[in-house]
Amino acid sequence: MEAITSTEQLDSYVDNLKASYDAEKLSVLICFGTGCLANGARDVAEAFKQEFDKQGLKINVDIGFKTTGCHGYCENGPLVVLRPKDILYLKVRPKDVPEIVEKSIKSDEIIDRLVYKDVNTKEVISQYQEIPFYAHQKRITLRNIGHIDPTSIDDYLLCEGYKGLAKALSMDPDDVITEVEKSGLRGRGGGGFPAGRKWRSCKAVSSDVHYVMCNGDEGDPGAFMDRSIMEGDPHSVIEGMIIGGYAIGASQGYIYVRDEYPLAVKNLHSALDAARGKGFLGKGILGKNFDFDIKISRGGGAFVCGESSALMRSLEGKVGEPRAKYIRSVEKGLYDKPSVLNNVETWNNIPEIIRNGSGWYASFGTEGSKGTKVFSLVGKVNNTGLVEVPMGITIKELVENIGGGVLGGKKFKAVQTGGPSGGCIPDSKKDLPIDFDSLTGAGSMMGSGGIIVMDEETCMVDVAKYFISFLVEESCGKCAPCRDGLPRMRQILVDITEGRGKDGDIEALEELCDVLTHGALCGLGTSAANPVLSTIRYFRDEYEAHIRDKKCPAGVCKSLITYSIDPEKCTGCMLCAKKCPQQCITGEKKQAHVIDSEKCIKCGVCKDVCNFDAVRIK
Amino acid sequence: MKRKGNMELDTNRIDEIISRYERSEESLLAILQDFQREFLYVPEEGMKRLSGVLHVPESKIYAMGTFYKTLSLEPRGRHTIKICTGTACHLKGAGLILETIERELGVNRNHTTEDKRYTLESVNCVGACAMAPVVVVGEDYYGHMRPSKIMDVLNKYK
Amino acid sequence: MEKIKLKIDGKEVEGVRDQCVLDVAREAGIDIPALCYHPDVKASGGSCRVCLVEAHQDGRMKLVTSCNYPVREGLEIKTDTELVRRIRKGVLELLLARVPDSKVVQDLALKYGIEEPRFFKDEGDNYRNKCIACGLCTAVCEDVVGVSAISMCERGYEKAPGTPYKKVSDVCIGCGACAYVCPTDAIEMIDDGDTRKIWGREFKMIKCSVCGKPYIPEAQVDWIVSTKGKDRAFFDKCPDHR
Repeated sequence: MEAITSTEQLDSYVDNLKASYDAEKLSVLICFGTGCLANGARDVAEAFKQEFDKQGLKINVDIGFKTTGCHGYCENGPLVVLRPKDILYLKVRPKDVPEIVEKSIKSDEIIDRLVYKDVNTKEVISQYQEIPFYAHQKRITLRNIGHIDPTSIDDYLLCEGYKGLAKALSMDPDDVITEVEKSGLRGRGGGGFPAGRKWRSCKAVSSDVHYVMCNGDEGDPGAFMDRSIMEGDPHSVIEGMIIGGYAIGASQGYIYVRDEYPLAVKNLHSALDAARGKGFLGKGILGKNFDFDIKISRGGGAFVCGESSALMRSLEGKVGEPRAKYIRSVEKGLYDKPSVLNNVETWNNIPEIIRNGSGWYASFGTEGSKGTKVFSLVGKVNNTGLVEVPMGITIKELVENIGGGVLGGKKFKAVQTGGPSGGCIPDSKKDLPIDFDSLTGAGSMMGSGGIIVMDEETCMVDVAKYFISFLVEESCGKCAPCRDGLPRMRQILVDITEGRGKDGDIEALEELCDVLTHGALCGLGTSAANPVLSTIRYFRDEYEAHIRDKKCPAGVCKSLITYSIDPEKCTGCMLCAKKCPQQCITGEKKQAHVIDSEKCIKCGVCKDVCNFDAVRIK
Repeated sequence: MKRKGNMELDTNRIDEIISRYERSEESLLAILQDFQREFLYVPEEGMKRLSGVLHVPESKIYAMGTFYKTLSLEPRGRHTIKICTGTACHLKGAGLILETIERELGVNRNHTTEDKRYTLESVNCVGACAMAPVVVVGEDYYGHMRPSKIMDVLNKYK
Repeated sequence: MEKIKLKIDGKEVEGVRDQCVLDVAREAGIDIPALCYHPDVKASGGSCRVCLVEAHQDGRMKLVTSCNYPVREGLEIKTDTELVRRIRKGVLELLLARVPDSKVVQDLALKYGIEEPRFFKDEGDNYRNKCIACGLCTAVCEDVVGVSAISMCERGYEKAPGTPYKKVSDVCIGCGACAYVCPTDAIEMIDDGDTRKIWGREFKMIKCSVCGKPYIPEAQVDWIVSTKGKDRAFFDKCPDHR
């Protein structure tokens, strides 16, 4: 593999690639994002290979065949895209493959049962960009994911890859920073700090060594956009970091990846090797006097290591304990040297900003929040998956137009944004635009972009308890407010959800929140109050129902609910009685059954197996 | 490759794993992770040898072993069941599934069954939120899991 | 060294670069309570949160731990505002809940009006032995002594100092610096005649050839001799009779 040692050489290499690339060639792209893989995408891929073999079709000669990163439409995987018509087939099974090859590859037919059908209009849409889920999106970060083979650098180059780097290297490093400043890009990891300003302050610190780092820890439960980027388009992150290194004068970069993402680690390693092979990493990049390389560091199962100072300690080979931010990491970060730490999504946007210009990027989004954002839309929503939209879209638009509304036609209650450091936004604020400042103003925060949709069957006290329990486990233990305060907050919430709540509990929670917000050492502690305070702010009546009436209106808190069987719906099929681990359901065949609530442990199995929706929770 | 739980450790394997990485403190966590994958836990002998090679006090390496939750100081079972307790999975009933497993296997979270067949753990998000609730056994992902289905899945693993 | 001017509780004071607010305050006779900080242990501080003060600069205010907040030109510190007292009280209540037996924490909490914490206490099976997990002991062992026999183990609530595997340490030299520096006397060190017991290990003590008092563990002398090259004979006499 010959290294590319100049911009001219890069252009000519890419021109050659383009010349030999047949855009009209029939290709099958199979989504290998985690969701589709878990749904059996590997078997589907295998089925295609076998069918091609059977039909005498040679891969890459007669027909293109690629496995790609996450397409985002995870609810409907395994996903298969047919090029060049961009036909999207949903929920593909191995048994569908021979028909697909016969009708859609060897011939020109579309298989109706496999394409998107609008639930309301019944319209059938085969072209994936026209499906509402995609039509409302603006995919800048996700530009390549789903189209390229993440393990092929040529695929990346065909999509204008490393052109941003070439342009940056032709500019003065300070001008590169200016472009990033003018774009208005704000950190996509949660903090929302202006990226260009961070770079500028870091560069201004005089030192023999500067570092750039990528935060790939993605600890927020419910967020998986960074995973999809690292797995599906690793070069975009690498290119961004090389540009960043050039701009601030660093020659060493690190990508810190969560250990729970083995495929991301694998694809990043192979992308780094390929980039080195082509000369984009190493010495004298693209013929300039600029050396840069990247190392990968794996995390160890600690949410707190997503915090920047804890991440740096972890990178250094220590326990991931944060330290006070009185001296910022742009002055003293990794090994006490000036460092820039940015999130995966932030780095991914850099090549496009340089390539297309800051003005282009700033044309999207709102005044205070430029650009687009990838959200993981999950929970009680029809279209769960990854979506990318311009900042400023309202919660209502996101949940309804792209998300397809609440699952099962239930009532929308709230969205939770920002993970364990964020809060909930209720139905009454559905028209809130999603951008950094609006979310913070409403008592939540952007966080990494996880949007958890909640319906009428979600108990908001249980949600607060869930997040505080999460933080109790993830607390590093260094400071008293977090280490000793969170477990006591949890105890109060447990008491409330188990029917032992008493007057004064809400006030006690608020006081502990106060101590945490002002007294904790790091962001984990200072933002731990958000889930509790926001649920109290918008759903105080639910807290009071638990405390005063010992009731859980949403029907979730076990101690406050009873399971019973609706005699109108029960057919007496005896399935629940057979499966009940307590053997506490009685009834004759074809007669309505009864649950003995004394013995019932509310395990949920009866409701799970009933085919007649006869189990009631009150 | 034979896995050795409490039995005598092959120190050659330990040394080989250490030699895979650059000799610097930065490699500590990665080496401990590799010990974990190889031996199903981080053996004391491994930490001792690592301390000697990298000139890092044993106490600091031990502290890392107790801090990072992907590492365990006790041997894990043959099959690690990781139940995702991320927010989406929690809302969709991960709690009930966890209870079912605890009840049926007679083992609590973060513990191993007596016959060393399973270790039950919870994970804070595996990134497959569209398929919530998710249970991972070894390297196999199971989405849209339900209390009535989980034991059939687990029984497949001997 | 260049002097940095700042105000603490309205009083004009001076510090030098990298000096922390707490040290400057104490030099100026202003007392700020603190538990986990020791001026000779660089890595100490920031854990107990007792020394929180208001830091005002450029029109902004934030609560900071004075033990590791560096002095800056034009900084204004307020050590006794309503906010400071409210948060410090909350912190002390939590610390008291953790170590209800510690006289040091009891006394400090009482000064802020707390006799009994309103939340569950760590007692019985959950007894914390007066340890507030501040890390001073492990910091002194690593940075000042240079042995690193103990480290802060576990994460979160269970965080506590200890030897690897809670086994007796081969590298501990019995110097007792950790017990000396602990703000709540949580580390047990028993000197009994010829021996000292600490971290589960018994150390033979060397007696002064003049007064006969056992004053230093043999293991500590061995360590100093081998790492600093000092002559062993130096340790025949205790500091009072050298």
